[in-house]
Amino acid sequence: MAKSDDCVHILQGLLVFGNVIIGMCGIALTAECIYFVTDPHGLYPLLEATENNDIYAAAWIGIFVGFALFALSILGIIGVIKADRTLLLVYIILMLITFAFEMASCITAATHRDFLTPNLFLKQMLEKYQKSDPANNNDQKMIEGVTNTWNKLMLQNHCCGVLGPSDWQNYTSAFRVTHNDADFPWPRQCCTLNAGGTPVNLDGCKLGVPGYYKSNGCYDAISGPMNTHAWGVAWFGFAILCWTFCVLLGTMFYWSGIEY
Amino acid sequence: ALLPYVPRVPAVALLGKVTATTFALERPCCIFDRHANASDAVWLAVAFANASATFRNPPSRADVPPYKQLPTAHSYMTLETAVAEFSCSAPSPAVLRVGGETACRDQGRHDPCNGPLPSSGPYRVKFLLMGCHGPKAETRWSDPIVLRRGISGSAIPP
Repeated sequence: MAKSDDCVHILQGLLVFGNVIIGMCGIALTAECIYFVTDPHGLYPLLEATENNDIYAAAWIGIFVGFALFALSILGIIGVIKADRTLLLVYIILMLITFAFEMASCITAATHRDFLTPNLFLKQMLEKYQKSDPANNNDQKMIEGVTNTWNKLMLQNHCCGVLGPSDWQNYTSAFRVTHNDADFPWPRQCCTLNAGGTPVNLDGCKLGVPGYYKSNGCYDAISGPMNTHAWGVAWFGFAILCWTFCVLLGTMFYWSGIEY
Repeated sequence: ALLPYVPRVPAVALLGKVTATTFALERPCCIFDRHANASDAVWLAVAFANASATFRNPPSRADVPPYKQLPTAHSYMTLETAVAEFSCSAPSPAVLRVGGETACRDQGRHDPCNGPLPSSGPYRVKFLLMGCHGPKAETRWSDPIVLRRGISGSAIPP
């Protein structure tokens, strides 16, 4: 029961240091998740149309968890320095709740990363891109989101389709219903365009002459940012959780050693 | 005259050389020069592969089977081009596209229409040199050309 003052001071120092790191990581997590939620690459409509946007839910949880970690770390520092049992008890309980939320967010982000396969986006693109007869209002919203996102993707990243322009030839699509195959073997956005937005050589594009159409697929442009998003939320979160776990154990040990 | 040339889809890598309703052919060079006058025209005869044996060359330009007869006659002729574009010195593009004209598809005119092909075939083609008095030379029939048929998009596994 009687500990030397030096040991207590070392433990206090370590806990304060641990909480400082938690506070800074909390701010970093909030900033990272805000960055992902603002969707700088404009890919959110594609996820919305899959009706499974859990990696966005994980990022939202990450924002609030990060802020909570920051607030709790300050509470923890005060509690450790003042050696106040009540404050530290409140700290431990709230930190455990935050721990649970962050664990949920990380696992969600990590497992839903596997949901984002090329076939998922291919199916969605074929079924929704430029579809002309929406089933209901919700469908119309998804169609607009998917169509605008794909048009923007193909123009900005100089790519066509998910795996390539042959996606439009290998599979039937909603696009094919309104655009005949002879004039549009693939969408006009797949042709190399000049500064005015018109194809440089339309016949060359339709024939597939190298140089007049974009031959690479857009999957890398989609999966790159989404992977970064999912891994960023998941693995940074797991790292924070490991550190927080150690600090929590130390705090509980310190709490049990404080005399009434 | 029967020329030994066999029409074929170009070997170069063109992604759109065969699509669901069109296909591309190499433009033959030099083969008609010995038989042609400057006023002759070269036509492309397109027939379903199983109807190519029964195709008879039309005796004059007025008897040329038009595009809209393809479902009934199982063959048609299109791409009427001046023979000068097939000569040795012609600076023309190396590829012809069959099926590229969508505007004439629904009109009932008898002009040669290079309309999109209605099914995936297989088709066989040959070039026919027509003069004022009828056909003068022809190439051999090509190998059967099968067009692409898209798999249903909903069949893609998630």
